[in-house]
Amino acid sequence: MSDPDLTALQRDALAEIGAADAAAIETLRLRYLGRKDGLLTGRLKGLAALSPAERPAVGAAINAAKDAIEAAIASRLADLRARTNDDLGSERLDLSLPPRPIRLGRLHPITATMREVSRIFATMGFETVEGPEVEWDHYNFEALNIPKGHPARDKFNTLWISNPLGDLAERPMLLRTHTSPMQVRVMESRKPPIRVIVPGRCYRFEATDAYHESVFFQFEGLAIDEHLTMADLKGVLYAFARAAFGGERRVRFRPDYFPFTEPSAEIAIDCFSCNGTGCRTCGGSGWLEMGGSGMVHPNVLRNAGYDPSRYQGFAFGCGIERVHMLRSGTPDIRLYEQNDLRFLETT
Amino acid sequence: MPLIKVPVEWLREYVDIDVPVSELARLLHMSGTEVDKIERVGDSWEHIWVGRIAALERHPDADKLFLATVEYGAGRTTTVVTGATNLTVGAVVPYAETGARVRDGHGDGTAVMTLEPRKMRGIRSEGMVLSAKELGLGADHEGILLLDPALPIGAPLGDVLGESILHIELQPNRPDCMGVLGIAREVAAITGATIREPATDPLRSGGLGDALTVRIDDPAACPRFAAALLTGLRTGPSPEWMQRRLVAAGMRPIDVIVDVTNYVMLELGQPLHGYDADRLAGRTLVARQAAPGERLRTLDGVERTLPPGTLVIADLRQALGIAGILGGEESEIRPDTTTVALECASFEGRGIGRSAVALGLSLQSAASRRFALTLSPELVPQALARAVRLLREHAGAVVTGAVDVHPSPRPAIPVRLPVADIARILGTEITTEEAEDALRRLGFAVTLSGDVIAAVAPPLRTDIAIPEDLVEEIARIVGYDRIPTRIPDGPLPIHERHPLLELRERVRDLLVGVGLTETVSYSLIDPAWLAQLTADGTAITPAPLRVQNPTSIAQSAPRPTLRASLLDTARHNLRHEPGIAIFEIAPAYLPRRGDLPEERWTAAVLLAGKAETASWRGPDRAYELSDAAAILDATGRALRLPRPTRTAGAPGLHPGRSETRTIGERTLGVWGQLDPRVAERWDLPAESFVIELDLAALLDHAGRRTASAPPRYPVAIRDLAIVVEEARVYDDVQEAILDAGKGLVTSVTLLDLYRGPQVGDGHKSFAVRLVFRSPEATLTDADVERSLKRITGKLLHQLGATIR
Repeated sequence: MSDPDLTALQRDALAEIGAADAAAIETLRLRYLGRKDGLLTGRLKGLAALSPAERPAVGAAINAAKDAIEAAIASRLADLRARTNDDLGSERLDLSLPPRPIRLGRLHPITATMREVSRIFATMGFETVEGPEVEWDHYNFEALNIPKGHPARDKFNTLWISNPLGDLAERPMLLRTHTSPMQVRVMESRKPPIRVIVPGRCYRFEATDAYHESVFFQFEGLAIDEHLTMADLKGVLYAFARAAFGGERRVRFRPDYFPFTEPSAEIAIDCFSCNGTGCRTCGGSGWLEMGGSGMVHPNVLRNAGYDPSRYQGFAFGCGIERVHMLRSGTPDIRLYEQNDLRFLETT
Repeated sequence: MPLIKVPVEWLREYVDIDVPVSELARLLHMSGTEVDKIERVGDSWEHIWVGRIAALERHPDADKLFLATVEYGAGRTTTVVTGATNLTVGAVVPYAETGARVRDGHGDGTAVMTLEPRKMRGIRSEGMVLSAKELGLGADHEGILLLDPALPIGAPLGDVLGESILHIELQPNRPDCMGVLGIAREVAAITGATIREPATDPLRSGGLGDALTVRIDDPAACPRFAAALLTGLRTGPSPEWMQRRLVAAGMRPIDVIVDVTNYVMLELGQPLHGYDADRLAGRTLVARQAAPGERLRTLDGVERTLPPGTLVIADLRQALGIAGILGGEESEIRPDTTTVALECASFEGRGIGRSAVALGLSLQSAASRRFALTLSPELVPQALARAVRLLREHAGAVVTGAVDVHPSPRPAIPVRLPVADIARILGTEITTEEAEDALRRLGFAVTLSGDVIAAVAPPLRTDIAIPEDLVEEIARIVGYDRIPTRIPDGPLPIHERHPLLELRERVRDLLVGVGLTETVSYSLIDPAWLAQLTADGTAITPAPLRVQNPTSIAQSAPRPTLRASLLDTARHNLRHEPGIAIFEIAPAYLPRRGDLPEERWTAAVLLAGKAETASWRGPDRAYELSDAAAILDATGRALRLPRPTRTAGAPGLHPGRSETRTIGERTLGVWGQLDPRVAERWDLPAESFVIELDLAALLDHAGRRTASAPPRYPVAIRDLAIVVEEARVYDDVQEAILDAGKGLVTSVTLLDLYRGPQVGDGHKSFAVRLVFRSPEATLTDADVERSLKRITGKLLHQLGATIR
């Protein structure tokens, strides 16, 4: 085949393509191969004017030129894309420029700690339940073996509630002083075996200082079955203390008194700061008190409708803020509900 | 709980202690007697020595001053100027050199000063010789404290006079431990030592004739009432050893009669009270209920009307004192008293507690705190006999006679403990012998019959009633360390679902995920805040519950809304933050008649101030309405909420820029811009934004959390420009499109909002992009066009829109 024009056209095209940059290539593609008025397209359109005998050969030649030009364009584009490390190195940007800050959301440390506590106890089969903060005297005291006039009531400096829609003289309403009312509520609404953990807000009439708040959070644990013993209580609390505070912590269990447990025990862990030798953090004792616990008092079981000769179990309670303070070194319990964002951002 | 101070030296009178004090404290602590701290008197006595007066002469220029030459060991001597008149050559005294810290002898004895050399009437005085008060050992500042002449001269005073005082926090179930002797019994039980009971003058009822009668009218409130009639009492100071113990235990010495009653109270736990017997009408003491409207002038000088149910001690004419709480003025012992009726009674503690509350008196006195714990009636004869003994020895008392009224002594009932119950409760075996031994050490009378331990508690232990009590006693003596650790086995409990709690935590995570900081604020608020949530002060909630006895007005109402708390938190933080984006999730407390309040779990969001601060990337950007809308929209999508009904406006929010969202009858919540007049009142930017959602309502409408495979067919995209009247809101347009799109339109995106000449006055144009897709097949152009036609038809027909 020999169409000198076509040959020249192809030669020119290949030369121009070989020298073109990325933008020019698109212009060249339109010039030679454009649908409307590309030079080769024009020639293909011209085929119609040829005799049927001539058409195959001329058509084949045009198509070959078209293929060659398309291949040259693809090859040139590939060459243009293929850049060396040096090429890229010259495109340096300042990575140290401060970015647009993304606002980080954050859970309050009390929420985070409550979740952590629930998670740890969940591994031991405890289900998280919650109960009302505004309670009847009955659940907060009476059912927990703390009748009216009981000297232990002094321990629980109570905030009493009055209802604008009318108070019931025979049913005093109060802000729960501990999460323990849920012991009885849970026992009333379920059948053993029971294993629950009850986080929630509690209230006391109390002067506030770095370690005391009148509004604070606790978690309560309760397990009831036919054969639970103090060894189970000790095991659960030890497992919790190690999970929450680290496996190297030592745990201490000593006699204590609560009207709703018998026997009762205080649980403490050895001091983080001094490892038990005594320092300011632990007041020199080497131990940090974590909470109270004990075997559920037979009267409480009876008050909830259980037969103490068949069922027994244990209960424990501990401050949420206390857990977080011990874990984080937060110096003052009042920081939690002051909600200074400069504090919250550090937690 | 009651705190008592127990000097270890005093403890040693009743029990041998052969371990160091710190170990003693640990042993007590670990067996249930909480030792709060060990106070070491004398630790602060640096630079104070045992000195001897080597020479004494008058000050040349002052009649009332002396120059004392003090030797204090190793050849050291010095001269001090003193006004004390009780010094003699050879006297052994405390000497404080320069740098010592001593108490101010002229004040109330609490101020502490550091000694410096000073000149007194021209003569330089190096240090001081000290009174008991200056050492913190007593109230006496009359003269210099004269020490035992046998003490080594030059020894640090702390080494010879220092002592350790245990501060013990008592539990309310252990009234028997309210005295030093009770603690000694605990020590003996732990260490196995024997108790030495203090000496008494045992009393026999009788010998009184008409000189004194005692009567109990209310035996439930006063189970036992004893008294002794004493004559020949001399007043004056109590012996020095008694004063020192009183001071060490935290009481002020007064005179021998008062000191002895206080001493016996500190020793045994039992308070006593003395009356001037000659002034008792009918020479009678009665324990009775106050008569209606009965009045009494108490020792604090207050004339009180006694509430019904108050137990009083009275003579035949009038009440003399409120039993166990506060004495009256009338029958007080006076300097001219010659005959004393010494009362020793036991009262029912709950009655004491109730009366104190009814009278508005706290149980602060050492006596009332003890009575409130219900002391054992068995303590009465011992305490009276002990007091009589001490008054005979130190105040010359002569006993005329005594009386002990105890109408119904409580029988000693054994508590029966099956041995197997010990392991059943503790989870470990304790041998029967060990258990018996522990109980015996604590003073229980123990008998074993078969496999059952029968134990009678010692007479002063009022807290032992059930087998579990015995188990605890055994466990605390053998040591809680004996209890092993175990993880509970057995069948796992049924786990219930808590959909509201789950949803609440999802919302928490969601709000954190969109960049909000969670706050947890006081759930008790100042009710005055509630009137500051609207421009005109009308409430946005029903009247709140009230705390009857709040710690402060600022915490006197359980909050019926979270809004005030958020505004308060925002106001404080905006003093140092350019902008805040916070939320709180907590219950709002809404009163119900005759029931506990509804605790309505609410999520509340507040955005205010700058969303972004100026930087090289661009200028400041303040939070705007659409930021709040975006959070609400994300919440709706995350919870798969259906499209809510929107009603313009919400209480306390900007009337033109807020809405209330409902589904059916249920209000999901409110959102929008805070009323700028309210914002101003809370020192917040006018453009502050609020979202409040009722989580239980969200739960009712949240979609099920299911999963499905991604769609199989491609989408078709069409853009529309829709011109509507200005009053139309975008939601009307979107709703019409979705409604007419019949499940083929999968999304509507607002590309542009245009107002201007091309659409004419009073109109606006929404440019929207519609995405079509069928779950069943690839849509053809014709399918899409048909759907578009329905959509434009609906827009035209329903909204009067035109398509550009």
